[in-house]
Amino acid sequence: MTQLQARGLVKSYGPTPALRGITLDIDEGEIVAVTGPSGCGKSTLLHCLAGILRPDAGEVSWRGHRLDTWSEAARSRLRRTDFGVLFQFGQLVPELTAAENVALPLLLAGTGRRAARTAALTWLERLSVAECADVRPGEMSGGQQQRCATARALVTEPRVLFADEPTGALDTLAGEQVLTQLVRLAREHRTSVVLVTHEPRIAAYADREVVLRDGVIDHTGLGLDAPLAGGSR
Amino acid sequence: MSLATLTRLALAGNRTDAARVALTALSALLATLAGLAALTVLAIEKPPGDAWQQSEQYVNALLREPGLRGGTAFALVMLTIPVLALAGQSARLGAPSRDRRLAALRLAGATPGQVTRVAMLETGLASLAGTVLGLACYLGGREVLHRPDDNGQLALPTDVLPPVPAMAAVVLGLPVLAAAATAVLLRAVATTPLGVVRRAGRTGSPQPWPALLIGLGVLAAAVVEPIQWALRGAALEWLALVAMVGIFGAVMGVIFGAGWIAHLAGRTLHRLARRPAALLAARRLTDDPWASSRTFAALLAALIIAGGAAAFRASFQLRAELEQEQNRLAGFGDDAFHDSFYLNTMDLVDLAVAAAVAIAAAGLLVTLVEGIVSRRRTYAALVATGVPRATIGTSIAWQVLAPVVPAVLIALGVGYAIGRLLTGDLSPGARRPDVPLEQLAVQGAGAIVAVLVVVGLGVLFLRSTTAVEELRAT
Ligand SMILES: Nc1ncnc2c1ncn2[C@@H]1O[C@H](COP(=O)(O)OP(=O)(O)OP(=O)(O)O)[C@@H](O)[C@H]1O
Ligand SMILES: [Mg+2]
Repeated sequence: MTQLQARGLVKSYGPTPALRGITLDIDEGEIVAVTGPSGCGKSTLLHCLAGILRPDAGEVSWRGHRLDTWSEAARSRLRRTDFGVLFQFGQLVPELTAAENVALPLLLAGTGRRAARTAALTWLERLSVAECADVRPGEMSGGQQQRCATARALVTEPRVLFADEPTGALDTLAGEQVLTQLVRLAREHRTSVVLVTHEPRIAAYADREVVLRDGVIDHTGLGLDAPLAGGSR
Repeated sequence: MSLATLTRLALAGNRTDAARVALTALSALLATLAGLAALTVLAIEKPPGDAWQQSEQYVNALLREPGLRGGTAFALVMLTIPVLALAGQSARLGAPSRDRRLAALRLAGATPGQVTRVAMLETGLASLAGTVLGLACYLGGREVLHRPDDNGQLALPTDVLPPVPAMAAVVLGLPVLAAAATAVLLRAVATTPLGVVRRAGRTGSPQPWPALLIGLGVLAAAVVEPIQWALRGAALEWLALVAMVGIFGAVMGVIFGAGWIAHLAGRTLHRLARRPAALLAARRLTDDPWASSRTFAALLAALIIAGGAAAFRASFQLRAELEQEQNRLAGFGDDAFHDSFYLNTMDLVDLAVAAAVAIAAAGLLVTLVEGIVSRRRTYAALVATGVPRATIGTSIAWQVLAPVVPAVLIALGVGYAIGRLLTGDLSPGARRPDVPLEQLAVQGAGAIVAVLVVVGLGVLFLRSTTAVEELRAT
């Protein structure tokens, strides 16, 4: 079933066009990789889909409701309930411990402190960083930080996870470990994932690869043969 | 590096750099005005005649009485303290990005000395612009304000000019001092080619030793009166020194105490916090409690003086009332000579305190905005993940108010206690002035309202600093 729908998305920054008409459907539990050369509009597309940016033209629908017409407050609420967002780095609050960082979205939703901490510990465990629970981000490795960030993005059990180059700052091995865990958990919880990356190899984790070029969809392919398809163009 | 290259590097920068330069210049301007005003008061010539001869050309007793001019000049110089605090806080504005720029210079092959010189030059030039502008304002203001009234008397000493070397010392000396201070501050950070490393290690959590300083300060104030009584009022300079050292100790105690209060407030808040805003504030408070000491230093110092001034005013008021009563008993009636000089002086002191609070609030705003701007990536990421801006704004308000409210109360209390002890009793067993609760409440509330306004203004910056674009910044 289609959960998230984008129709003819257009977005420019001043005179620079970033998206020039993008139409995309994301099904429940589907993992979609968005790839393409630097500057082709991947992050902009992700921000529009997640309701962080409003497109200049076109529509984004979430379960049949026009997301792009909602108020900032309503979109903000959606992002902390049904959506999870993950960036390359720097999204953990430096003064909070890992457990507190992960518990933050639950506290915002009104969960009690003890229950929030228990849930946070569970998710840190699932991402194999339980030992970091009472450590601050500054004292963790990059990989551990991204696992905590992933735990925070997933702790509310979102329906869609938006990830913008979540392993871009990690070395290949650490990046791969984080990604396999992310994909496994998403599959377990039937969470859809929009995964932005510029590494074709990472796209192999996805069900579908969407390749952007200059703000339009160049082609789509199945995750596994996408590297070849991407390379032949 | 040639001077031209140095200057170009010093002036190359972004908007925060421009703001820092402007604020540095503004602080230098204010400091110049205060310094020149003090010099002008000192330049008034002692009129011929005996020691009690007054300078008849002025309206205000502070200028007329030669014996009071030293104190007036001292008070004016004291006004530069919050100004200098403002300058120090401006220097930190955009420091991370400037430090990064300096690191880039190092990477490009500049030596540490050259990097320091670039920063010194920036501060020096900005301050020089400020002092020159200050001099222009002073000279212009003299002309504009030189308006003798019907008696030919002047409101301000616009008829005298300080000696030129003294003026030059202010206009040229301040920038040199500022540049030197920059060099010293930069020694605390090592600009390596890889970035900026803070040299100082993490300090431990604050201990309540500042309470000891406060206690000693109050004790010093308490012993001055009895000793003076015991020595039959013999003028003892060292006694005044004891009082000054005591007051200084108490001020430092309150300022450092703010760090301890922030730590305590953070821990209490952390224990009680139910909402994310309080949790975020609590963690930031315990993470860097000394930030509160740095941020509120000028405000707290001003409030200690305010508290002391309230005690003095209460004492002067009581004295005036008693005199009036005596005059009535002696049959002079109410219209007898009424010496309100001291009360007028207290009005001036209150005005100076208000000015100091305003300047301190400006410094607070600078620090607050700097804190928000330097954390914009985290804030933008939080907003992107659905944390409402209101939550972030509330956490900033918590973080400022949780330590400042108790610190303000303590500062006023300590100031009043010292003032009350120093004014002593008019005679043994005499009537005591009532505690001027109303005035103290107005001062405390005024300071807290000023802080609230600053928080409100600072939070306005949240909208622009949490825009998605900030996520692109590294
Ligand atoms: N805030 C902005 N202001 C101006 N131009 C922008 C802004 N954000 C993006 N752009 C431009 O829009 C285009 C798309 O940017 P976007 O960040 O979406 O690309 P991307 O595919 O994510 O690139 P990368 O792989 O480097 O992250 C680029 O040409 C970029 O320069
Ligand atoms: Mg991008």
